[in-house]
Amino acid sequence: MPIAGMINSKLRNTIAIAGLLFTEFLVVVLARDIYLNGLHMYTLGASSPEITTPAKFIFPVRIILEVDSMNIFMALISSTIALIAAIYSMASMKKETGQDKFYFLTLLLVSGMLGMEMTGDIFNMFVFLEIASISGGALVAFRTRYADSPEGGLKYIVVSAIAGLMVLFAIGLLYSQYDLLNIAALANAIQYTTLDKIALALLAMAFLMKLGSVPMHMWLPDAYSVAPTAITVILLANSQASMYALFRTCFSLFGLTMNVNTLGWMLIILGVLSMFIGVTMAVLQRDIKRLIAYNCICESGFMLLGVGVGLAVLDNPTALATYGFQAMTGGIFHMVNHALFEGLLFLAAGVIFHRIGTRNLNEMGGLGHGLKFTAVLFLLGAFASSGLPPLNGFASKILIYESVYHFNPVLAIIAVIVSIITLAIFVKVFFSAFTGQMLPKFKEIKEAPKPMMISMTILSGIIILFGLFPGIVVDWLAHPAVNALINQASYINAIIGGR
Amino acid sequence: MVILESGYAFWNPIIWVIALATVMILALYFRSRGQKNYKKGTAQTKIFLCGEDVPEPELGHIKASNVYWGFLETLKDYYYAILKPQTGIINDLALWFVLLLAIGAIVILATGAGAVAK
Amino acid sequence: MTASALYNIPFIAVAIIESIALFIIISQRSLIKVVMGLGLLASGANLFIVALGYRSGGVAPIYTNLPQQAVVLPVPQALTLTSIVIAVATLALMLSMIIHIYRNTGSTDAEKSRLMKG
Repeated sequence: MPIAGMINSKLRNTIAIAGLLFTEFLVVVLARDIYLNGLHMYTLGASSPEITTPAKFIFPVRIILEVDSMNIFMALISSTIALIAAIYSMASMKKETGQDKFYFLTLLLVSGMLGMEMTGDIFNMFVFLEIASISGGALVAFRTRYADSPEGGLKYIVVSAIAGLMVLFAIGLLYSQYDLLNIAALANAIQYTTLDKIALALLAMAFLMKLGSVPMHMWLPDAYSVAPTAITVILLANSQASMYALFRTCFSLFGLTMNVNTLGWMLIILGVLSMFIGVTMAVLQRDIKRLIAYNCICESGFMLLGVGVGLAVLDNPTALATYGFQAMTGGIFHMVNHALFEGLLFLAAGVIFHRIGTRNLNEMGGLGHGLKFTAVLFLLGAFASSGLPPLNGFASKILIYESVYHFNPVLAIIAVIVSIITLAIFVKVFFSAFTGQMLPKFKEIKEAPKPMMISMTILSGIIILFGLFPGIVVDWLAHPAVNALINQASYINAIIGGR
Repeated sequence: MVILESGYAFWNPIIWVIALATVMILALYFRSRGQKNYKKGTAQTKIFLCGEDVPEPELGHIKASNVYWGFLETLKDYYYAILKPQTGIINDLALWFVLLLAIGAIVILATGAGAVAK
Repeated sequence: MTASALYNIPFIAVAIIESIALFIIISQRSLIKVVMGLGLLASGANLFIVALGYRSGGVAPIYTNLPQQAVVLPVPQALTLTSIVIAVATLALMLSMIIHIYRNTGSTDAEKSRLMKG
């Protein structure tokens, strides 16, 4: 990438976007293949891709990369968001120095994210987690001419380092007992001893800290507000990759051998706390990107609530079939919705920052006269975020409301109240930034540059598409993913082959 | 492909959009039967504030910190209680992690084994 | 000391190192000391992983010209090498960010140099 940058800057941008387009194409082809054929795996270094246990050994010895419906779901989200962010960054990073390093680090971040989502080996997941967090931290602190960027970057790196080291400790604990690093083989051999309980606590808390749940959320508004806007969007997908890792350990690694009630209720309580504290803190903020970052925390709470309800009823087959399955579908559908509308909101806020140069809401007003298209798209993202019909936020939230109500009515009522306050905070932002009379100092604000508008239009098109046809996502993407998570036995069988 | 159906929820967005389109057409019809003979540019189309002067654009726009003043005033105690731990110092972040790890480990260690014991 | 306590000295050391490292991250205000605490945390985790591979009476796991006796487990040594490299990169990046913070705000104290609260 720096070599291409020395030749011509347009060549470097084209290589970056072409690489991400090719990745997206491969992911879509693989998604169709997995939907038709089931789980795929690739053993690194073996004579044929499916031999996980070589002839003279009794347990899997090589690193395997495995893709099933849940993995390809997350990979689709990550590659789409990365492609859109790269198109956006063509316009927003035009005046920055050091663009070679920016594109290089972005590609490294995307590859770390995709690697974390498509692996079947727990140490491999740790390595890719650290790759993604190092490149993400360097990118958050990219604009060193502002005073607050390195501070946000330092907080991001310290949090990621602590979480990664705790994951390494838990891997050591699991390895010392079972001598296995493969997730499926571990799931087959695990007995729930005391050391396993400590390992579960370490893994769960480390991944919860990386995804930004209350009370370990304080790094998230700082890091998301000072990063360049294209990077904020990719960091969103990175937090969702951590959430995927959390679900993979809860469902596929430990499964029914642990007490699902305990961990499920812990996820539910943390989810409700995240929702409530995230959205009430967002009412106070003056900075537009910090406000949207607090909304991110709130939506992570929704996902934790949905999947936590599914986890809490995992050992109860009737409840699982009736409302647990739907709650998990709602939570996982909300993941793709969250990436889409939060991405749109951040990109629209980035347009404002690009044109004005400040993120302070107190100094804005009447921008809708100049930025008409951006205002409409921001409103679309705001309506999708608070769950208004017919957009996709409503489709996933109604699944969560209805299923959680049958689990415990209080949680559903809190979820509905939080959605209403979400609409309130976006009314605040829309009122103070876009509406009102045109202020004289903003008289010559032009519309956003073309690459930014293209990326925002793609996102809003997908939002409206998923809103009008929610069956596309639910039947083809979300239901197979939930099935892949719940059926631990089929996951183990497909990888180790009937042991 | 269009209908989202779970055991308890039924949601068909196309019917909702058709209903919205019907209501919009009705609203536009009602609006088109309004007054058409008004003069643009005179006092009939300016902003009306009960006879007072319209403030300058800079002074008349409510700043973002002052929107939702009533909401923030009533929940002042709750906000002080929440803002106190969120200081932004890195050490406090690690402290919350260690606290939550301790609580999580105690809770998971205290509850028993799961449904499937191997 | 009894035999089991003698064999367990590395793990007791790991527990002490990890607790001291977490205590440093929580309580020291200077940012460079926080980075030192993180380095200690990494060292503790790596020591734990190498120590758990020990088999009594084993030799180093080099497979060429191997004498016919027990070897120490080789996999944890590979894990540790990877992890040390990652820790070096992380610590270098953190220190460079502290340099930028010092240039911008004039102090490396975690409380005096923060600009974002709440």
